[in-house]
Amino acid sequence: MMDHSPKPPEALMRAIAQDLRPVRPSPQPLQLALRMVPLALLVSSVILLAIGPRHDAVTLGPLLTWGASAAQFVLAIVLVWIAAHESTPVGRLPRQVVCLATAAASLLVVFVTLLTFWTGPANVPVLPVPPRVNEMLRISPWITGFACGIGSTLAGAILILFFSRLFRNSMVTRPTVAGALYGVGAGLAINAGWRIACPFSTPWHALGAHGAAIIATVLLGALMGRYLGNRKLKIGSRLS
Amino acid sequence: MSEGDQELRALMIRYQGGSLEAFQEIYAQVAPGVRRYLLHLAAGSEIADDLLQETFLQMHRSRAAYNPNYAVKPWVFGLARNVFLMNRRAARQRAKILEPREDLPEFPVLPEADRIGSQDEIRRGLACLSPDQVEALLLHHEWGFSFEEIAGMLGITAAAARARASRGMADLRVALTTLQRSRA
Repeated sequence: MMDHSPKPPEALMRAIAQDLRPVRPSPQPLQLALRMVPLALLVSSVILLAIGPRHDAVTLGPLLTWGASAAQFVLAIVLVWIAAHESTPVGRLPRQVVCLATAAASLLVVFVTLLTFWTGPANVPVLPVPPRVNEMLRISPWITGFACGIGSTLAGAILILFFSRLFRNSMVTRPTVAGALYGVGAGLAINAGWRIACPFSTPWHALGAHGAAIIATVLLGALMGRYLGNRKLKIGSRLS
Repeated sequence: MSEGDQELRALMIRYQGGSLEAFQEIYAQVAPGVRRYLLHLAAGSEIADDLLQETFLQMHRSRAAYNPNYAVKPWVFGLARNVFLMNRRAARQRAKILEPREDLPEFPVLPEADRIGSQDEIRRGLACLSPDQVEALLLHHEWGFSFEEIAGMLGITAAAARARASRGMADLRVALTTLQRSRA
């Protein structure tokens, strides 16, 4: 049985003394979330820089093209802020707030998808590529589905890796939940950029490929959170 | 912010700057309370002593994640709760169950409840309450955390934390009365 006096045990002191390099205090969750804006913006805009906005952007109008994506991006940052709170042992938000934000994210994606399809039902790819490629994509739309699904998931994975680097030492109470929240934020931020570039508005493509990419990013985030959470157990070896 | 809070925050900032003495001082001020909290979470199991050391080891590894805007004590208690939960998850994964001691768990005795029953009766009374109620009750009455701080630790609203603590206190009174009547 250890000594219960308020003096730290020798073994603990030795472990602490081994690594006493000065560290910078962590910023508040809001500052952390805002720090991620530039990278999230950059990663989600890569596709736009590569192939430009969709050909029917004029038909959709600036509000539905850029405004809806801006709303998704803002909600994504809110979700990252909630995840940053969840990652703080003493700053967790009530479960209702977490559930509400997640439900709002799902509803926003579905609503924007349906509204986009209703306003501009584009189902023919018009990409800045040789006509033969456009024809091939028209005949086999699943290729575009795969490209959008896998491309958005990979972009989301980059953000997840960045988020996990920032929060790897935060001692999260529910690491899987926190990771999944980062995943929703990352997926939503990526979708905000990809939906402006993607030439298809059909719900099966938008919800099937882009929606699946968001779900895949959430799962990636949850797995990453779980991995980081379990990793702590190995570090926390007993001292006696 | 109380004077004790301020002192702990200043110590934490010094500790983040690399002071071993600051760590020792934080340990001296916080460890006894954290140990009692871990004893409560682990239902009096002797694993609480190991978890206490693990908590401070994790505090050291996570010291950069501390923000001076947060009070130190609830932050360390939150870490202790995480360490306990991680340990429980690992124990489940290894299909081992933490076996509580056969005697009653070493619940801290609430100062307010002390007037309405003996220590033994209060322990028995607390054992009758739901774990959520006991945790909120002890965090507020025994360790003096505000309902906002408890809410941040447990991921609930401050109103829910208040309700759990006050229902817990009401149920404890009922449990004590029943115990005393059955003995009379």
